[in-house]
Amino acid sequence: MKTSVEWLKEFSDIDVSPKELGDILTMTGSKVETIESKGNDIKNVVVGKILEIKKHPDADKLVVTKVDVGEEILQIVTGANNIKENDIVPIAKDGSELPGGVKIKTGKLRGIDSCGMMCSVGELGLELEDYPGQIEHGIMILPASLEKDLGKDIVEVLQLKEDIIDFEITPNRPDCLSVEGLGRETAISLGKEFKNPRSNLSKMQIETKPEIKGLTVDITAPDLCYRYVARMVENVKIQESPEWLKRRLKACGVRAINNIVDITNYVMLEMGQPMHAFDIESIKGKHITVRRAKQGETITTLDDEERILDETMLVIADDEKPVAIAGVMGGLNSEIEKDTQTVVFESAVFYGGSIRKTAKKVGLRTEASSRYEKGLSPENAERVVNRAVELVELLKAGKAVEGKIDVYPIKQKKTVIPWSAERINDLLGIQASKQEMIDIFTKLEIQVEGDTAIPPYFRQDIEQEADLAEEVLRFYGYDTLPSTLIEAESTLGSKNKQQKIVDTIQEVLVNSGFSEIYTYGFYSAKDMKKALMDENSDLVRKTIFLQNPLSDDFDRMRTTTIPSMMQTLETNYNKKNMEVKLYELGRSYINEKEAIQKGELPQENNMLTLGAYGENVDFYYIKGIIENILQAVGVNRYDFLREEENHFYHPGRTAKLKVGNDIFAYIGEAHPSLTEQYGITKKVYLVELNIDKITRYAKQNKKYVEVPKFPAALRDIAMVVAEEVEVGTIQKIMEKKAKKILERVTLFDVYRSEKLGENKKSVAFELTFRIPERTLTDEEVNKAMQDIITGLEQEVGANLRK
Amino acid sequence: MQEKIEQIRNTAEAEITSATSIAELENTRIKYLGKKGELTLVLRGMGSLPAEERPVVGSLVNKARDFIEEKLSQKEREIKEKLLEERLKTEKIDITMPSKKVELGSIHPITQIINDVKEIFIGLGYEIAEGPEIELATYNFDKLNTPPDHPARDIQDTFYITDSIVLRSQTSPMQARVMEQQKPPIKIICPGTVYRSDSVDATHSPVFHQIEGLVIDKHISMSDLKGTLELFAKKCLGEKTKIRFRPHHFPFTEPSAEADVSCFVCGGKGCRVCKGEGWIELLGCGMVHPNVLRNCNIDPEVYSGFAFGFGVERIAMAKFGIDDMRLLYENDVRFLKQF
Repeated sequence: MKTSVEWLKEFSDIDVSPKELGDILTMTGSKVETIESKGNDIKNVVVGKILEIKKHPDADKLVVTKVDVGEEILQIVTGANNIKENDIVPIAKDGSELPGGVKIKTGKLRGIDSCGMMCSVGELGLELEDYPGQIEHGIMILPASLEKDLGKDIVEVLQLKEDIIDFEITPNRPDCLSVEGLGRETAISLGKEFKNPRSNLSKMQIETKPEIKGLTVDITAPDLCYRYVARMVENVKIQESPEWLKRRLKACGVRAINNIVDITNYVMLEMGQPMHAFDIESIKGKHITVRRAKQGETITTLDDEERILDETMLVIADDEKPVAIAGVMGGLNSEIEKDTQTVVFESAVFYGGSIRKTAKKVGLRTEASSRYEKGLSPENAERVVNRAVELVELLKAGKAVEGKIDVYPIKQKKTVIPWSAERINDLLGIQASKQEMIDIFTKLEIQVEGDTAIPPYFRQDIEQEADLAEEVLRFYGYDTLPSTLIEAESTLGSKNKQQKIVDTIQEVLVNSGFSEIYTYGFYSAKDMKKALMDENSDLVRKTIFLQNPLSDDFDRMRTTTIPSMMQTLETNYNKKNMEVKLYELGRSYINEKEAIQKGELPQENNMLTLGAYGENVDFYYIKGIIENILQAVGVNRYDFLREEENHFYHPGRTAKLKVGNDIFAYIGEAHPSLTEQYGITKKVYLVELNIDKITRYAKQNKKYVEVPKFPAALRDIAMVVAEEVEVGTIQKIMEKKAKKILERVTLFDVYRSEKLGENKKSVAFELTFRIPERTLTDEEVNKAMQDIITGLEQEVGANLRK
Repeated sequence: MQEKIEQIRNTAEAEITSATSIAELENTRIKYLGKKGELTLVLRGMGSLPAEERPVVGSLVNKARDFIEEKLSQKEREIKEKLLEERLKTEKIDITMPSKKVELGSIHPITQIINDVKEIFIGLGYEIAEGPEIELATYNFDKLNTPPDHPARDIQDTFYITDSIVLRSQTSPMQARVMEQQKPPIKIICPGTVYRSDSVDATHSPVFHQIEGLVIDKHISMSDLKGTLELFAKKCLGEKTKIRFRPHHFPFTEPSAEADVSCFVCGGKGCRVCKGEGWIELLGCGMVHPNVLRNCNIDPEVYSGFAFGFGVERIAMAKFGIDDMRLLYENDVRFLKQF
């Protein structure tokens, strides 16, 4: 809400600078966004009269002038060609300043002294549309009547000084979307008297009539229209509004149109209640109905756009058609025209929720709708229409017709709030006296009757004691609120198991050179396609879509974190970052069991995603990282199983991690086709690990196991096996055959050669034998070794390499 | 006999003195003190001596042995020291050559801020709550005193999945979830991802992060809120940080406030970060609205509480001097590794 300080002064004395005023009002709840001070950047520019114009001796396009600026005659050289002798013009004298920091000094133009400059509209920082008849490239020609003001400051003569404050008004305070409301806040905040210049309006005794000059009004949707007040003016003369009114409208950012339309806007800005004016002749049957629109009904609004309406919308209609979308915009069919004779002023109050929805649906958020949607008081409607008629008479724009139409089915109820100073003090943590509170309430026009308080009609936001507490604090001073610490039983702060596990995972990763990334939880069809996701896969079928996405790029929630990771790797690859190790702790969102369709929440998985490429990164590196994580979080029993089905991964270089019966991670090389999609020519390694699942299996209670006292027996063994026999299989056989005495198996060599034969490899291990109770005998170890060798021979056809 | 012992002693001493290696010393030791060493032989030959001379000679031999042993070990020490000295000289390396470190990764600035905040509030006895990002509109709005037609709904443009399911536009729905599940006293913070329909630019992102705080107990006051936030601001942004409350409006708190902190970049003098104001808008807060308490089955006649919520990105950007929000989501490793 923008207003000029000048207008505010009609409601409250203001003896502080605009900046101070802004600070004070901000601290009482009317937050100042910007302060625009006009006219301060024009200095020493005066009214002058051109006495003489002569050709410049050395320049065809310049003239030499003599200008009377009151106390002296100045010689000024100019290139302007729209001036003539006796013109009154603005003169920037030696040492003057113009908007944009321009400084004017005496100088020579082609050898002739020039003691200043004549100014154009633009040079004074003014707008051409405010000064009809002036031209862009030429000197501003002032009215001849200003000859009396020669030498006077142009800022004063043209009243260029104006301070405009833009307030951010919170949605609970529609009363402050008016100069009157802001004026009230200003007066209380500055400790001044609220001048209440519109108090006369409520006292006017205008008779309510069922019809005026044949006009009747019906409300058929009383749930959406609380009150409809209309008054009429006749013998209307449509003309331009006076300067003062246009200036105030402009300060509030509203364009002047003609006196009648300007009055409706002016009253809305001043008193917060939108109004509508229409030509009585355009109302078929002279009968207004406030009704729900018919499905598919259309109206062309004042902005010349055809709008299609539906049954949820409220319209003002005559006997044939809608003439306005209630609370949003009037129709072109009832517009005030130059020849309009009789005008109906409508001041109606609608249900805010409905206006908000309608404005959104028709895509038309207006000054009116943005006020209505916050919920206006029906009590204001009558005084506002009275104000409009008062202004018509003030502007001599027409003659008031006697009486009013006032359809007001259910009167606004008064809210009676029980309150106690003690409870308010307790809630706020202050010690204000009851009298201090009552004083604040009184200034706010809240009636105090014993232990109850009744807010004024325009403060429908005050509903209970907590609201009263806020009013107390606003004027007792938010800045005087003390700082205390909670006096209560102490509580124990802590992280839960999963939060601790996440911390541990981060620690391992950061120490291993991984950097954390943040990506968006949504993606697009394009992203899914890029990641080569199969349309028939669960990951695609269980996607959750947004109803109102920002764009197609963000129209669905991700079911997998792989595309965002790949995208991030691509970004880094394109930036020539050659060693990249990244991780993300983010969610995937799965519409399991059609939860969304049932109105239930979908599954959100907390995922750890790793993505890496670079010189030393390979499958085993990344597997090692995961093993470190498992160890760090306390998952001790797990299996890496071969995974060949997952489309994101290389079928021969991918493992899934199994714990119990759960698969909770995929670890592997990205499928070459996937890497190609992202234009990365290096091998990329990926991990997806479900943190919710890992949390279930992590054992946080660590227990000391005695460090072995007895020496271990070490044996090396090398076996020749077929290429497809996996080390993991061999290891399992070893563990099974050696029973409990085999403490550790360490692979130390894999060797291939022609001598071994085609499709053969030699794998060599160091075996550590030990039991906690005693030193093993050679016989025991030898027996175990023999069992292992036999077992391997039998189960995988291994031969001992000698 | 005495002379012979004397002679052995002297030649041994001479040999020890001239020795240059541990091996030579060892030979000398064997030559004189070994099983067949010269001094050992003297001792063995003592049987042929008259009984009265034996103790005298024995004592002389022992003295000579002690002497030689002493000399040997003294020389051994000298040689070892010398050897060590030479070795150390040859082992000199260029300590300016690059290290073989395992390169460290980095924690994202957003997480760093969240971690700082968690630590502070855990210290104050808070627990950490987490909840769904895809949320029922009931929790995102209705229970927070923002029914469907409430004017406050247009403050934030929410992404809808269906009419009743949204992407949470704030972490505040966790207030309602926690209040429904837990009896007072409640002290939680809730960090999380939130979504609003803002296009991506230098200061906006449709995805960002918030931290919500909630305290419910008997006799909780607005001044407790201010004290708590003041403590938090000092710990998080520096001991000299001041806090200022301004009136504001949120549907789920009453009274509501916006809290500004004195600019932690310029200390309040005015700079680019605080746009010359000296203050930076930090968060929204207030006393939990009685309607919200009622909606969550907590009796506002018995309990009161406060809530606050702030954007993590804003703080991260101000604290680390990041001038474009997009950098936080671009994830260039050269950016990430700076933190």
